[in-house]
This record gives sequence, structure tokens and C-alpha cells, in this order.
Amino acid sequence: MTDTSKQAIFSQSFCARIRLPRRNPYRLFLSVILLPLISTGCRAPAHDRPKGYLVAGIESNPLQLDPRYSTDANSVRIGNLIYNSLLRYDERSQLQSELAEKWHMLDDRTYLFDLRRDVTFHNGERLTAADVKYTYESILEPSSLSPKRGLLRSLEAIDQFGSHKLRFRLRAPHAPFIEQFTLGIVPARAGKPGASNDQAPPGSGPFRLEALESGEKVTLRANPNYWEGSPRLAGVVFKIVPDALVRVLEFKQGGIDFMQNDLEPEMLPWLKNNTDAHIEMNQGTTFQYIGINLTHPILRHQKVRQAIACAIDRDSIIRHLLKNIVSAAGGLLSPHNWAYDQSAHRWPYDPARAEQLLDEAGFMDPDGNGPRPRFRLSFKTTNIDLRRRIAEAFKEQLQQVGIELELRSYEWGTFFSDIKTGNFHLYSLAWVGIEDPDIYHQIFHSSSVPPNGDNRGRYRNSEVDRLLEQGRVTLERSERQMIYRNVQRRLAEDLPYVPLWWWKNVIVKQPGLRGFVAYPDGELISLKKAELG
Amino acid sequence: MKQFLLRRLLLLVPTLLGAVSLVFVLIHLIPGDPVEVMLGETATAADKEALRQSLGFDRPLATQYRSFLINLAAGDLGRSLYEPATVVQIIRARLPATLQLAFCAMIAAILISFPLGTMAAIRRGSWIDRSALTFSLLGLSLPNFWLGPLLMIVFSIHLGWTPVSGRGGLSHLILPAFTLGLGMAAILVRILRASLLQVIDQDYVQTARAKGLQESRVWLKHVLRNAMLSVITIMSLQFGGLLAGSLITETIFSWPGIGRLTVQAIQTRDYPLVQGCVLVIATSYVLVNFITDLLYKLVDPRISYGD
Amino acid sequence: MATKVWFYAGVALLILLAASSLLAPLLAPHDPLHQSLDKDLLGYSSDHPLGTDKLGRDILSRTIYGGRISLLTGIATVLISLAIGVAAGSLSGYLGGWLDLLLMRLVDILMAFPGILLAIALTAVLGPGLNHVILALCLIGWTGYARLVRGEILSLREREFVQAARGLGAAPRRIIFLHLIPNLLPPLLIQATFGLAAAIVAEGSLSFLGLGVEPPTPSWGSMLNDGRQFLLVAPHLTTYPGLALMFTVLALNIVGDTLQERLQTRIR
Repeated sequence: MTDTSKQAIFSQSFCARIRLPRRNPYRLFLSVILLPLISTGCRAPAHDRPKGYLVAGIESNPLQLDPRYSTDANSVRIGNLIYNSLLRYDERSQLQSELAEKWHMLDDRTYLFDLRRDVTFHNGERLTAADVKYTYESILEPSSLSPKRGLLRSLEAIDQFGSHKLRFRLRAPHAPFIEQFTLGIVPARAGKPGASNDQAPPGSGPFRLEALESGEKVTLRANPNYWEGSPRLAGVVFKIVPDALVRVLEFKQGGIDFMQNDLEPEMLPWLKNNTDAHIEMNQGTTFQYIGINLTHPILRHQKVRQAIACAIDRDSIIRHLLKNIVSAAGGLLSPHNWAYDQSAHRWPYDPARAEQLLDEAGFMDPDGNGPRPRFRLSFKTTNIDLRRRIAEAFKEQLQQVGIELELRSYEWGTFFSDIKTGNFHLYSLAWVGIEDPDIYHQIFHSSSVPPNGDNRGRYRNSEVDRLLEQGRVTLERSERQMIYRNVQRRLAEDLPYVPLWWWKNVIVKQPGLRGFVAYPDGELISLKKAELG
Repeated sequence: MKQFLLRRLLLLVPTLLGAVSLVFVLIHLIPGDPVEVMLGETATAADKEALRQSLGFDRPLATQYRSFLINLAAGDLGRSLYEPATVVQIIRARLPATLQLAFCAMIAAILISFPLGTMAAIRRGSWIDRSALTFSLLGLSLPNFWLGPLLMIVFSIHLGWTPVSGRGGLSHLILPAFTLGLGMAAILVRILRASLLQVIDQDYVQTARAKGLQESRVWLKHVLRNAMLSVITIMSLQFGGLLAGSLITETIFSWPGIGRLTVQAIQTRDYPLVQGCVLVIATSYVLVNFITDLLYKLVDPRISYGD
Repeated sequence: MATKVWFYAGVALLILLAASSLLAPLLAPHDPLHQSLDKDLLGYSSDHPLGTDKLGRDILSRTIYGGRISLLTGIATVLISLAIGVAAGSLSGYLGGWLDLLLMRLVDILMAFPGILLAIALTAVLGPGLNHVILALCLIGWTGYARLVRGEILSLREREFVQAARGLGAAPRRIIFLHLIPNLLPPLLIQATFGLAAAIVAEGSLSFLGLGVEPPTPSWGSMLNDGRQFLLVAPHLTTYPGLALMFTVLALNIVGDTLQERLQTRIR
């Protein structure tokens, strides 16, 4: 906001009083001009494109690369290029060995690992079992204040045998714990973040951190001594370009070579017609849903929730608004997932059925098809343009069946806080990076009400509770599959969430990039095998 | 003179303190608990309590405020809640970018406004005058977030003269400086024109003309020199506005400055970082105002400020 | 001569704007909120002369209604800021003393505080919505008027007519209202004109940050923000509200400039 008022004050009050100046204003003037020119000169021109490096455009800067502390998507994805872990999910969401040459379960709560012997950190030191033990134990330490501490709660102890054998003992059988073996490993003397002057502890991965310029870019250089073989790319620059339109323009001009997601759907046809981009869309795991507050007097009726599910014309939104960069979802788990149940009930668009359900629930339309609604609900969303647009479409669709939605958009911090405290009627959000179906416990178990979990809608169903507890301790894959099939069926009827869609992973890359494989959870790990032609 | 200096300096302190206190109050009023965001969903209540204690967030607000002030006096702005660095380190990395952009925006504003303003004053009342004023108004009426991409499309994509975004040398600076400076240019045109017109009517100008001085010399030696002083003053006042207003331009042009940092810090509820950023912005603004007042007093001691 | 033409053009534009805002329900061919998802991003058609937006809504209707909201926001902001600013400034300037010191420090602090951040903080605390946007803009905007009023009152305070009134025993309130404020009207009017333009543009900046009017209500600012992602594929989404905004701000500034020239010369 410019202070037009101030300039007016000045023009009136002061100009009139100026007489002859005592000093030469030109000199002052000159110094004002020279300053920025000097400052421009002092700053070396940005090396946007070092030779052989791939430039990827990302939306926001990674906050914390240390894998023990990283929570935001960019930090995690970049971190996975710098650090190795015991196990790793591949592009088909299957767990593969990475640092672990061999591993197996001794009993229902003990895991044994035999590490590779040819792994070194970027500082030259060998990676041994001591480093693995340190990484996990440093998180468990109360003073670490790591956000991952809760995830390791069921870990009892880690025993080290020699320099390459480890045993993880859990307090009780906990099937989902296996996910924790995808944690990046740091050297044993890493310390807490900020302890040393390095921006992140050294890793052992295919790329090493070359430079981290806050808010500007993160530069990774290929690790020539990588045990799987040096990456063919000389390095990767993650350039931070906050605005989606500007990212597209940068791509067009050649400033960036690669973008993943966070694009306006309309831009894809434009990119196809106006640049030489290769565009790939794959099924993703990011699940978008409408969250419902089940303590609300109207929303606690199952029929009302089912009516809302029927009233939403997903297909129209997907086809027109989203230009098919999503696929309609029946539930949390995407078709990739081993526990996915495709027989769970879906709710197709049927406004007549919706109105019938609302009538049955006792919420009649006061004036037939007139302007007065049956009832009003608030719908909270973040203030990202696309999310708001989708909310506007919902508002119109629900209006057709007599439900009036009041849209409220907030900046992220306030939105998230409201959701956790249960201060909402309806909201829309997405779950990212779903791998193990135990996430259902975190979201729908009655004990998982915030702050102890993510059951923000306060859903309570004792049968589902029982199933979820069982799923945690059952280790046999096909048995677990049965359990979670039942969970999905129950939830599809009960609708504590109205499922919307899974976002596809949209990759836009320049044709010279070969060998990049898209991962359903958006991981960039295949860059270690990619090359720029 | 010295008394005046001292008085003005003393007045700086409560203003800065007020600004910083205001942000302290505001950010604690905003809903959203940074501990929740930092530890995520899987942490237990006990973990969160532990973090809160270690950060001192469990103490009453008054105590937190007091220790904040004490640390401030010692120059300790604390550590960021998310990035592994102190607030001072982060700000030191980002502030130069904004300063650079702001200065260059001022240059751009001068380059646009001086020819326009002078022409408008010389040909006062004519259509040149009106068009110059109107043209300058483009800067005030076109929002940055619209103008920026438009310029990018024309100059970067179609003409290929500049890179699209990002920080760098002169070619990277042109578009964002121009976008940011256009608003200031609009004001400067008007001020320059007004003060030029005022000076023109002065006696000494008439005298110079009567002495037989060439018209161009009259302008350069007398008119422009006098008018410039008020222009410089306005520019320095607007500088503070540039700092804060650079937020949108920094986002659009991927410029790693302090405006963008502040908004990001607010969204993540990174209290120490927000406080640090606001302190820096408020200090720059207040300092620039102070220097302006000082310059004015130096130039013409007869000016009083009425306080 | 040229000045006159511009002035009348500006006034005419403003009258046109006011009229279209008042008569919006009659002028707009469609309901600005009605969506047709399958008719998105259409260009010119006889049914939609300015095209449709991403949700298939008519842009002409939204531009007309948007003008109404933008204008309302601007006028409300200016009126409230004026009220606060004049009250604070006149009390400060006339009464002086510690009240003056306190108020001017407050003004300094608010001016040093980055305005947009104040807006973000306020809307985060109070919640979204047009009212809170106006409140945020007012809290940022009143300081300018306060300083202006204070400055003028300080210089007017010692003039003869004020001395005379004081000598006759008039209460401060009477002096302020009857004698001082009428003299302030010209510069205030000029300021208000510029302030209105600034407020309308500021609403756009707030929309960019996601803090403007709530969807689906149209305003020029929010239309510019919603449409800017489509600059490459459907520029008409932003062109029309952008032009409308530009011409309005232009008209306001021309009128303000002219008033300044005419009225300033009269004072001095």
C-alpha cells in the first residue's frame, strides 16, 4: 500500500517552505543511484544452469533436510536423494532393501538387519551399524524434540552386533512399524540441527548437498562414490519458484527442466501445444476428501452424510474443473495399495437420491425447490485458488439439493488449527503419502481424537475400532487384507469422510530427461538413474 | 541541532518497541500452535508439552514478553522454529535481496518519473501534461501480481530479453524493479510536477530569466535543483513502503527477499522469525524516516516539525 | 482546456460506475454466481459478451457486481478511516500535550508496521470476510488522515479567527467542529479521492494473499486474482476487471488532481 496520503502532506506542507538549498542535491542524487549499481555488481550472476545439472522447479523452500526432523514434502523428497535408508519403497509401492543387504523378522516383534559393507558417507566415513543405531536413538531421546519421535514409540531397543548387524526389538507386535525403516541415516556424530555450521548432516545417498540458499535454491551434486554407481546427472538444482504461472513460464523459457504437480490443470494443454514438454500422469496416492464433524447435530445422521456424497457431481468437477488430473476415489487407499478393496460401496452422483435421503433423515425442504435451504453448514478450506474454486463448485451442487454451504477460506495455520480443535462443520483436505493401511487407525480410531491423532471428525465406531486394533498386530499379509477390507466397507457406508479423488502425479519434463520414473507418492528418487540427453 | 538529533533518536526507541510489541501481541493472538505444527500428528501430548517447555511457550505471556525484550537488548533474536539456523542468520541471508530490489525499484521509479514529471511541468495544462500523469497512474492502478506476469510474457517469453524470474544480475533485476517501482513512479511524477511548478513561480527564477540566462540553464540550475529536494524526501519516505510492499513482487519473481520470508514465517507460526522480520522492516522504515528528517533539517533549519 | 476535458471525462466515468453499481441487478444479464462447469473459459458469445470464467459464470455480470463490491469496500474504508483519522488528528492537534504525544507515537508505530502483515494477522485472528477486510484496511489507512489533519490544525490553531473564537469563550469541541474542520474539507476530500483508489487496489492485493472477499462473491480484486493463473489460456478473465479497475483508479486520480489544483490555489 503506498502512502499517497503522506506525499500529499509533503507537497502541501513542505514544498512551500523550501528556499535555496545549502547543499548540492545532485550529489545526493548520484549516491542514491550508485548504491544499487554497486550492490548489483557485488553479487555474482546467478548460475542458474551449471553444466549437466537438472533444474527442477519447486513451490516452497525445504525447511529441514535432516531426515530426523523433516516433515514438509519438499524436505522429505530432497532428503531422500541425499540420505539412504535401511529399506525403501519402489515405484510400485513395494518395500525394497537399500542399506540392508539382507533382513528378516526373527519373531513377531524383532527385525534383524545385515548391512551392506560398501557404503560411505559424503565425508568419506564408512556407514556402519553404529550410525543406524545412532540415528534412531537420537530421535528417541526426549531432548531431541524430533517430530518423528511418536512414530518410533513401539521401539524397545536396538542392539548392535559388530559393525554391520542390527536387531530392532519392539515392545509389542506392530505391523506398520516396517514403514519406519525408510528413515534416512545420518552419521553417528551428527548432533541436533544447527549444532554445527553445516546446513544438514552428510548423507550416503546418490547426491550430496552442495549449497542451500534460503528461499532461492537447493543445489545437489552427484556423489561419484555412490555404491549403486554414480548418478548420470552431474547434479540437481531445486529452484524455488512460488507462483505456478511463473513456473510454467520458466519452463517455457528453459529456466527449469522439470516440474511435478502444483500446476493449474488448464496449463497442461497449453504446455503440450506451446513447448516441447513431455507430460506424464500417473495414478497417485494423495487422497482428497471432505472431512465431516460427526458431533454436529445435523451431520451425525448417517443419511445426511450419504446425501452429501450423492449430491456431489464428482465427474463434472473432474472433467471440467480439474481436466482429469485426478481419478475418482472410493476411499483412502488407492488402487496401488495391497490392501485396496475395490468392492467397497461408491456413491454416484444422484441428486434425487440425495433429496430422498435428506427427507428420510427428517430435514425437509421448507419451500420445495424454492430459495430457502433445508439447513446451512460451513465449509472451510485453505485459500489456494484451486481449492476455493472446487469449494465453489460444491456450494452450487449442494444448493441444488437444498443445503446451503457457507464458504470460509483461511490461511494454512489458522485452517489447520481449526480442524484440529474440531472447530468446523465440513472441510476439505488431502492425505499425502499413504503407504500402510494402519493410517486408518490414526484417522478413525476413537482414541485418535486430536491431540492424540487425526480423528478430527470425532468418529466413534466400536466395530471399526476393534478391526483397526487387530490390523495393527496381525502380521500375515492376507489376514490383514481381510481386516482392512472390512474397514473400508464399513467406512464406505458410514462416510465419516466423503471420498473425492486421488490426485494423479503430473510430471512435466523437457524431452532431454530420460530414465525418470514417476513414483505414486511423488518421490524423486529415480533421478539417481536419470540422465540429461 | 544536537538537541534535535537526540530528541529524534530517543523517539525512535518507543516507536520500534511499539512495533515489535504489536507483532508479539498479534502473533500470539492468531490461532494456531507452532508446537503442533512442528511435531506433527504422531507426537504425544507429553512430547508437545516437553517442546513447549523447552521453547518457553508454557510460561505466561507477560514472562515471555519480558524475556523477549531482554534477549532483544542483547541482540539475540532467537532461533527459527523450523529452519536449523538463528533468526539473525536467516535474516542476514535474505535482507540484502530485498534491499537490492528496493533500491533498484527506486532507480526505476526515478528513470520513469523524471522525464515525465519534467515534461508535464514544462508543458503545463496541455495534453502532454495530462497524458504523462495518466501514464504514470498505470503504476497505481495495475496490481503487481497481474503486471508482473504480463511483463514476463512480453519481455521474457516473446522478446527473450530477460530471464523470467529469480535473483541475479542486472537482467534479473529489470522486471521486478520496474514492477515494484511503477507505483512509486506514479507518486513521484505528481510530486515533481507540483514542486517544479511551485519553484517556477519564485522570484529568483524570474531574476535568472531577466538576467538573460538560457531557459535550459534556468531549469537545470535553479528549478530542478530546488524541486529535487522534496522528491528525494518523498522517495525516502516511500522506501519503507517499498520494503513491505515488496512481498507480492518477491513472490511473483521468485526473489528470495524478506517480504516473502515474513509471510512464510507467519503461516508456519515461526514466532521468533516473524518478530525478527518485523523488527527489521520497522527499523529500516524508521531509520529512513529519521535520516530524511535529518537531511531536511540540515538543508533548511527554519523548517519546524511542530512537535 | 485539456484539464477541463479530462476532469469531465473522469467525473463521467465515476458517475457511470456509481450508476452501474446501483443498477447492477437490472444491468447484469446473468446471475453472477450461477455456474455451468461445462461452459468454462468461453470467449465471446452472444449469451456471454465478455465470456465465462473457470466455473462457467458470466464475466460481464461478475464485473458489474464486482464493481459494486469493490466500490463499497473502498467507500466504507475511506469513510471509516476518515472518521477515525479526523477525530484522532484534530484532538491531537488542537489539545496537544501528552495526548498528542501518545497518538502520534501510535501513528508512527502503525506506519512503521508493514501494512500487509497487519492485514494478514487481523484476518487470521478475526476470520475471513469482507467486513474484516475493510477493518484491516481502515486500521492501516487512518494514520494518513490523522497526520494530515493534525498538521493543518497546528497551522490553523494560531490564526486570528480561532483566537477570536477562543477569546469569546467557545468550547474546544465547538471550535474544532465549526471552525477548523470546514477548513480541512478541501485537502481531506482530495486525500479521500486518492484513498478510495488505493483502497480498491489494496483489496486486490489482499485477494492475492487469499484474504479478500470470500468466494463466490465477485470483486475486481478477487476476479483478478482468480483469473491470473489463466493469463496464458484465457486472458479475458483478467482483462475486463483489470480495465475496469484501471479506469476507475484513473478517473479518481484525475478528479483528485483537478480538485487539488482548483482548491489549493484558493487556499494559498
